[in-house]
Amino acid sequence: MGSVALKDIRKSYGAVEVLHGIDLDIADGEFTVLVGPSGCGKSTLLRSIAGLETISGGDIILDDTKINTLQPKERDIAMVFQNYALYPHMTVAKNMGFSLRLSKVDKDEIDRKVRAAAEILDLTPLLDRYPRQLSGGQRQRVAMGRAIVRDPKVFLFDEPLSNLDAKLRVQMRSEIKELHQRLKTTTIYVTHDQIEAMTMADKIVVMRGGHVEQIGSPLELYENPASVFVAGFIGSPSMNFVRASAGADGIEYADGHWLGRPAAAIAPGRAVIAGFRPEDMRLADTGLPARVALVEPTGAETQLVLRTGQDSLVMTTRERVTQKPGDLVHVVVSEGKLHCFDADTERSLAPGAAPA
Amino acid sequence: MNEQPRVLYWTMLSLIGLVIAVYILFPVFWLFLASFKTQAELAQLPINFWPQTPTLDAYAALFSDTHQKGQLLDWPRLIGNSFFIAVTSTIIVLIFGTFAGYAFARLQFPGRDLILGGLLISRMFQGAALLLPTYRLMSMIGLQDSLIGLVLLYSAFGLPFATWIIASSLREIPRELEESAMMDGASRLQSMVLVVLPLATPALITAAMWHFVGAWSEFAFASILLESNENKTVTIGLASFVELFTLEFQYVGAAATIVALPIMLVFFFGQRYFTRGLLAGAVKG
Ligand SMILES: Nc1ncnc2c1ncn2[C@@H]1O[C@H](COP(=O)(O)OP(=O)(O)O)[C@@H](O)[C@H]1O
Ligand SMILES: [Mg+2]
Repeated sequence: MGSVALKDIRKSYGAVEVLHGIDLDIADGEFTVLVGPSGCGKSTLLRSIAGLETISGGDIILDDTKINTLQPKERDIAMVFQNYALYPHMTVAKNMGFSLRLSKVDKDEIDRKVRAAAEILDLTPLLDRYPRQLSGGQRQRVAMGRAIVRDPKVFLFDEPLSNLDAKLRVQMRSEIKELHQRLKTTTIYVTHDQIEAMTMADKIVVMRGGHVEQIGSPLELYENPASVFVAGFIGSPSMNFVRASAGADGIEYADGHWLGRPAAAIAPGRAVIAGFRPEDMRLADTGLPARVALVEPTGAETQLVLRTGQDSLVMTTRERVTQKPGDLVHVVVSEGKLHCFDADTERSLAPGAAPA
Repeated sequence: MNEQPRVLYWTMLSLIGLVIAVYILFPVFWLFLASFKTQAELAQLPINFWPQTPTLDAYAALFSDTHQKGQLLDWPRLIGNSFFIAVTSTIIVLIFGTFAGYAFARLQFPGRDLILGGLLISRMFQGAALLLPTYRLMSMIGLQDSLIGLVLLYSAFGLPFATWIIASSLREIPRELEESAMMDGASRLQSMVLVVLPLATPALITAAMWHFVGAWSEFAFASILLESNENKTVTIGLASFVELFTLEFQYVGAAATIVALPIMLVFFFGQRYFTRGLLAGAVKG
């Protein structure tokens, strides 16, 4: 078992508060990803759960037990660090068995558990090597191995893939995901990479400036972002945002062109921020006029950069694009794909969107 | 193109280095050779550089019971005293320096960096200026003419620098290693002993060597604090030759060789760590 509940977690360094009251419930076995820009407090939150930081307020509850003041070693939580933090003077096997040696498990048992973990992670031939003799990906796996031999209640990962090259990152991403499907251990995973978040998470927690901005499944966040921030953060290329206003029959761009219908009625005349994803736009005979600035074929898709009024829009399409830079085109937003946000609070105006 | 000036430059530099080395080492070497000569040969003119009939008589005399006849000091005893003082104070300095260094490297407390810097500065106030006050102090607490007194004194003198070396090197060890150990179930002490200290070995060896050599060769404080013959150290023994036998250089040579030997051994075996440890400390201060 390993369910985690965070209640109004606060953390200050001196007079500076960096976590401003985080509430979060994580079910047993869930793969939760904390995502947000650098400096938003992800690591601080993770380290607080680990017990490496003392929180200034709130409660951390693991399976109905308050663990706020427990030492890291008393929490039954394992952590994989960004730089792996392998013990340089111990072999792979010793690294992996370290926690078991500390808890005085007998030698044969340690050996058995280390071998089992090594088997899962393809580390068997490397057991006698030292960390300096391993590649980045192998070190990463040893760090994971060290966590899984303990069979803890919760795994914590702090940007574990950020030191790997792009190709290895994709590979390790699926390995971690597979490992989770196999072990079903509650996992909290920190990253600043929204693609990692989208591909790995059961539940994504988007953080910003020490607050939780939105919590939801990857598709919930993609389809119903609660704010301009989340909308822009999730999805690649990012959502387009333009200043617009509500008209009698829907949302109008600054020049009066119709963009689409909002999900819920908005009082006519109200200023909004309209958002639409690059993949939800298409070229048409009528619609918002724009000039092509760039055409970037990527194979399966083509990415277009368009200029209209003050705005620069990105759209992607799977159709053949014959237009050239400089051409005038018309774009429309697919039905039901227009997101509207309050012009001041930047919160979503869709029904059911969480209030600020 | 500029190959030639460079060769010239290095040749000149090497030559100058050689001259300086010979200038400094020649008397030492002469003394070393003298330890294998007989009294007669030393008195002979013109002076022989190489021993004519090499003999270990001088060494034998130092280790025999000639002291009982009042001719020589009790050298086995002097060596034992010096070893006792150097080894014991090295152990003390290592133990306290490790814990203090760890605290400076890892814990937050007000004035930490200031105090750590102060440790280095405190080295400047050692030496002659402290001789008399130290003598007064040690007499007051009844520790003059006592080996234990000297052990404590050397430990106190050596601790700041050892702490500084160890703290500087511990700072280079990533915090995550310890945090990882703590997540793995280690207490702070366990993470220090099982993870941090093995990685700090070069610094610990450097600190130990530095202190051992310093304590082994210290003269000024030993000479004013130790009075009785059975408490004297090798450096006092060496100095006493000045009064004892101005002409019997074979004894001086043999004693100097014995005194230099541990220092050379320490440097020979510890060299690797010594330079590494000092550099490790030097990059980040
Ligand atoms: N030890 C510390 N002392 C003071 N401020 C800190 C400390 N650690 C982190 N911070 C601050 O807390 C904020 C959150 O940091 P962090 O949790 O590392 O962000 P993230 O992991 O999301 O990039 C940052 O503004 C950072 O400067
Ligand atoms: Mg971080």
